Amino acid sequence: MARTRSKGGPASTSADKTVSTTTKAASTSTYTLSAESTNPPKLFVLPKNTSSSVRIITLENPRYGNPTRYLVCPETGSFYEFTKAAPPNKSTPRSWLLSSEKSEKEPALESQTIQSPDLYLATPYDPLFLLLPVLFKSSSNSKSDNLQRQYLSLDDYLDLIPNTDRHFSEILTLPNSHVEKVLEARLASVCDLVEMGDDKMYRPNESKLSTIILSKASKMAEHLPPSMEEKFIKKALEAPVMGVVKDQPPPPPPPTTSTSSPEETASPSASESQSTVTTSSGTTPSTAVTTPATEEAPEPTFAPAITASPATISLQRLRTSLNFILSSYLPPFLSKTVLSSLPSETFTELEEYLTKLSKLRTEAAASRNLDINGGKRARDEDDDERLEKKRKMEQEEKVKKANTSRGVKQLAKVNTAGMMKLSAFFKKA
Amino acid sequence: MLEARLDTANLFKSAVDAIKDLVQDCNFDCNDSGIALQAMDNSHVALVSMMLKAEAFSPFRCDRNIALGVNLTSLTKVLRAAGRDDTLTLKAEDAPDVLNLVFEATAQDRISEYDLKLMDIDQEHLGIPDTEYAATISMPSAEFKRITTDLMAMSESVTIEATKDGVKFSSTGDIGNGSITLRQHTPVDKPNEAVEIELSESVALTFSLKYLTNFCKAQPLSNQVKLCLSAEVPLMVEYGLEGGSYLRFYLAPKIGDEE
Repeated sequence: MARTRSKGGPASTSADKTVSTTTKAASTSTYTLSAESTNPPKLFVLPKNTSSSVRIITLENPRYGNPTRYLVCPETGSFYEFTKAAPPNKSTPRSWLLSSEKSEKEPALESQTIQSPDLYLATPYDPLFLLLPVLFKSSSNSKSDNLQRQYLSLDDYLDLIPNTDRHFSEILTLPNSHVEKVLEARLASVCDLVEMGDDKMYRPNESKLSTIILSKASKMAEHLPPSMEEKFIKKALEAPVMGVVKDQPPPPPPPTTSTSSPEETASPSASESQSTVTTSSGTTPSTAVTTPATEEAPEPTFAPAITASPATISLQRLRTSLNFILSSYLPPFLSKTVLSSLPSETFTELEEYLTKLSKLRTEAAASRNLDINGGKRARDEDDDERLEKKRKMEQEEKVKKANTSRGVKQLAKVNTAGMMKLSAFFKKA
Repeated sequence: MLEARLDTANLFKSAVDAIKDLVQDCNFDCNDSGIALQAMDNSHVALVSMMLKAEAFSPFRCDRNIALGVNLTSLTKVLRAAGRDDTLTLKAEDAPDVLNLVFEATAQDRISEYDLKLMDIDQEHLGIPDTEYAATISMPSAEFKRITTDLMAMSESVTIEATKDGVKFSSTGDIGNGSITLRQHTPVDKPNEAVEIELSESVALTFSLKYLTNFCKAQPLSNQVKLCLSAEVPLMVEYGLEGGSYLRFYLAPKIGDEE
């Protein structure tokens, strides 16, 4: 199987692709390139401590409802999700060049290039998220009343999990499978428990869920990746400099669920409940996260009018993390429930600061408007320079016009379509 | 240091007059062989090439290569002050800021002197190869001027068709069509009115009349004009001057649909 892929290889025509790759591609060049593989390999970074029974299964994504692949190790019961790490700069073409060292254990891999620069990372995933849709589904209509919910056994819940490809049930029934035990433990953490003889019955509890999500968020907040720290913490909390008026930079673009930043996906993967990992579907922007950033556009500051206290900053971090988890892992209906069941005073201090900040920003914007309308205050140096340049250009244009003869002006009107430029006939000397 | 004296300002006046309607600014390149000029119009479909050889001047002195960047409209304004039969002297330093022009009316002992500010012009030079044209037509320059002016009434473009029988200028426009055919003839007593056609193969090309009428402003330079045509190359219109000096225009043919 020839997997080598080359750019601009003269031999790899579409016809060659279909032909068995053992037949040499017809080519007149000295070196023949083997045909491009129709199914090029992908590069994965997989967890270390997995048994040979590890599987990749397809399950319904709890947030988006689309089929998503997960890596499951039945013996440890750990779940992993795949995160695609794309190169930060899309315009530069990149590829993988693979070659393997000789090892006794595994057969040497054929050296090859892979055109796609993507790297898939398997990162730990809390299977609790998989359970959440079925756990809380029933209550979504009947306005979250704990008392109306039924107690059900673990098996009942597992039966509810969409199992179209029978992947999930297979994982559960594998010999040595610890998946069920792990799931039960995770289930117990968000449920009220009633024991009826040997049977354990569970009823989902929203406040328990909120606590768990909040603890995940605070864990994540300790290790925010620098890109998120910059965008959602520093810029969102920055206060305008009063007195100095500058053009306000545009608000930061909504984050495209930064699948690209590897540091984000790599860092705090130790804990089972870590949540910094992004989904591999990767296109849905976390809308909740953007709100604080967009409503208060940041400004460059030298001596800001107010500064955020460390407590406020950590609260903003917590909120950012929370919003991220809610918008990437929880079903949409559940995000609202969790937010509303949080203790109301959690973010009071932050809210106060943000209100003050937005007021300051409005003032700054207003004073800037005054400048523009009144025109009495000194304008920006940039502005002045631009005007000066414009004036000069206009003047030059005028002089040029005055020095243009009538004939030249008339020739400008001539339809020269169909006439080739003379440089096409005469070469530059 | 440049110093070049022409017996009659008329030559330079007419040349500049014809060029100024085609290009705005251009360099006069002076070296010991004479004063040359090459420039394209804004659309880059026409090119003017002037060569005033050192022999055309008396005296001519140019120690170093000098490029005189001139706005032609400004130069025309200055040249307007020169009488037709005045002697004209061009002077410039080696790295000049100005071009000095002196007009002397010998009959009246009147001397006028002007300094024209120069400018830096970035120009690309095209190398024009010597071409064997399929057809070379010599005709009175006044005749060519009349043809272009007459056909302007019909259309914006003219088809020049050279065969062994003669040369035919034809135009088709909204109001109708018209054509002028000239046959070869060489009156012995009036060589200026001769029409000569040298032909290696028949050729027919279409050109923009507006450009051609512009070229015809050089008519006072010479009694005869030479049109050189070959399929799919630019037309050359040459006004020959004494001593191998010339003023040449090149114009790209119109290819494809005629609108």
